[in-house]
Amino acid sequence: MKALCWNGVNDLRVERVEDPRILNPHDAIVKVTLSSVCGSDLHLLGGHVPTMRPGDIIGHEFLGEVVEKGPEVLRLNRGDRVITVSVIGCGKCWHCRQGESSLCDNSNPKPEYAEATYGHCTAGIFGYSHAFGGYAGSHAEYIRVPYADFNCFRVPEGVTDEQAVFVSDAAPTGYMAAEMGHIQPGGIVAVWGCGAVGLMAIRSARLMGAERVIGIDRYPDRLKAAQEKAGAETLDYTRTDIFDALQAMTGGRGPDVCIDAAGMEADGGKLGGPDSGRSGVLRQMIASCRKGGVLSVVGAHGAAIDRFPMGAAMNKALTFRMGRQHGQRYVERLFDHIGKGELDPSYLLTHRWSLDDGPQGYAMFKDKTDGCLRVVFQP
Amino acid sequence: MQPDVTSADGAGEREAGAGTAERWVTMVGGTALGLAGLRLSGSRHGSWAAAALTALGGGLFLAGAAGVPVARTVRETIGTGALPGVAGLLPLPEEPTTTQAVVTIGVPPGTVFRYWRNFANLPRLMGHLERVDVLSDKDSLWIARGPGGVELRWRSTLDKLRENELITWHTVGEADLPHRGSFQLRPAPGDRGIEARLTLIYRPPAAAGGRAVSRLFGTSPEQQAREALRRLKRILETGELPTVEGQPHGAYGRMQEIRE
Repeated sequence: MKALCWNGVNDLRVERVEDPRILNPHDAIVKVTLSSVCGSDLHLLGGHVPTMRPGDIIGHEFLGEVVEKGPEVLRLNRGDRVITVSVIGCGKCWHCRQGESSLCDNSNPKPEYAEATYGHCTAGIFGYSHAFGGYAGSHAEYIRVPYADFNCFRVPEGVTDEQAVFVSDAAPTGYMAAEMGHIQPGGIVAVWGCGAVGLMAIRSARLMGAERVIGIDRYPDRLKAAQEKAGAETLDYTRTDIFDALQAMTGGRGPDVCIDAAGMEADGGKLGGPDSGRSGVLRQMIASCRKGGVLSVVGAHGAAIDRFPMGAAMNKALTFRMGRQHGQRYVERLFDHIGKGELDPSYLLTHRWSLDDGPQGYAMFKDKTDGCLRVVFQP
Repeated sequence: MQPDVTSADGAGEREAGAGTAERWVTMVGGTALGLAGLRLSGSRHGSWAAAALTALGGGLFLAGAAGVPVARTVRETIGTGALPGVAGLLPLPEEPTTTQAVVTIGVPPGTVFRYWRNFANLPRLMGHLERVDVLSDKDSLWIARGPGGVELRWRSTLDKLRENELITWHTVGEADLPHRGSFQLRPAPGDRGIEARLTLIYRPPAAAGGRAVSRLFGTSPEQQAREALRRLKRILETGELPTVEGQPHGAYGRMQEIRE
């Protein structure tokens, strides 16, 4: 089959590879219909994730059709139109049973990397380096899905492919970011980063009753989408002092909830100046957030942050919530919102390309040209 | 290496600190007790094991072991000279080395107990074991492959069996690496299942020490013990071991794999 393989820093190639096969009894094989780029892939491309190996197939946000299943797969059938949550849960361990499947004890076949770096290992992720299990990704004609009964979800009738594909990752990530904010009536939410995840967080915050949501970015088309599609007021951080603007907009209190939907790659890792150590967004959030407010972090972070402003965080009694998405617990709710017309992620799909154009697709997504929110490949 | 252990007295303390030295003393003290039992009994393979296991069961040995990083051994501690008084008690060539790992498994204790009780299951948990033949209620024959495909065989016998709580065993007769093992279960809080603790105590023969250990337990016994428990958890919780062996990848990756 055809697949988009990582071969080195900024070196993606479309290659012919073997078809995937069932390796474990709970596996299924999914024929990929749509597979989206994701901002977190930029960390891989840029060489910021040390456990990539040449030949790794990337991609983790996808929709497809079940074409084969292992003997222990009971809930799915061949021909089912499914999305698959990008972060893999086993469905059986204590964390999965708590609805925290990104903390799954069992799905990562290579736990030694994370244990050495983070103390414990977390869940496997499709196409996202060997520290996250080394699973082959979805930018391919077929993909093997482990624990398929737990990770694949049938797409209800009335939900289009273009809406459903983002329920794999961007929508649940944004939704979880808003939910972790524990938004109260009258609450004001600020969201750093108006890419797909940020836009989904903005819309989710509105659905959860936020009085106002403020989106922060620098790309005019993203700020426009935040206003027109997601219902945010917007700030361009290249034109405005974010702290001053947020205080002015909130009666000097600061936003009740601050969401990091940008992560360590915010503005190429340079936001907040050369000394910010890839933590410019977090520093702005800590300074801007109202006393006693909540910081919710879903933007990807990988390494340590030095000179962290702990004094401000402690004395302002801030609550930190964070994590990779536990998508399995949100999928049904998200399909419900989409079915009712309350959420429509389909506008994130700005470019639908062939997998053959994979390298160019990532180049455009990285440079954010042509109003690109997401390039979605059609293998 | 971070300790993969928790206990009432060791929970949460990861780095060597002021409290750690005390735990070393406790642990080495526990070892010394076990060896005292050995010297009293005068037998090489029988009672010393029982004596040390008594100390283990009594909690003194475990209390120390649980609080310290698994990767560090009694031998290393003595090497640092941190414990002159206690180290002086130990007959160095025969000092046993302890490896311990613990994991929480979300299934009923009986399921875990029965799986481990059948030693024939252990090759699925320990990569170097080729097979274990259960010969009787108490006795088993273990066959492992060392580096270069060298076959290693030894016999083990069960010492203690407490339903859903404890299984202990030790090698009998000639063994490249005489050792004892203990598999201990206790309920985890809430609905988390059970905590399974594997302890291996082995005494490298003075001559072939390091090589015997690596033949039997791989280059890192701690990692081997932890990996065995991880596999046990994964098999019992999900019915399979996660893998990416045999999945597709690009040509450059294949070339690299061949080179490796």
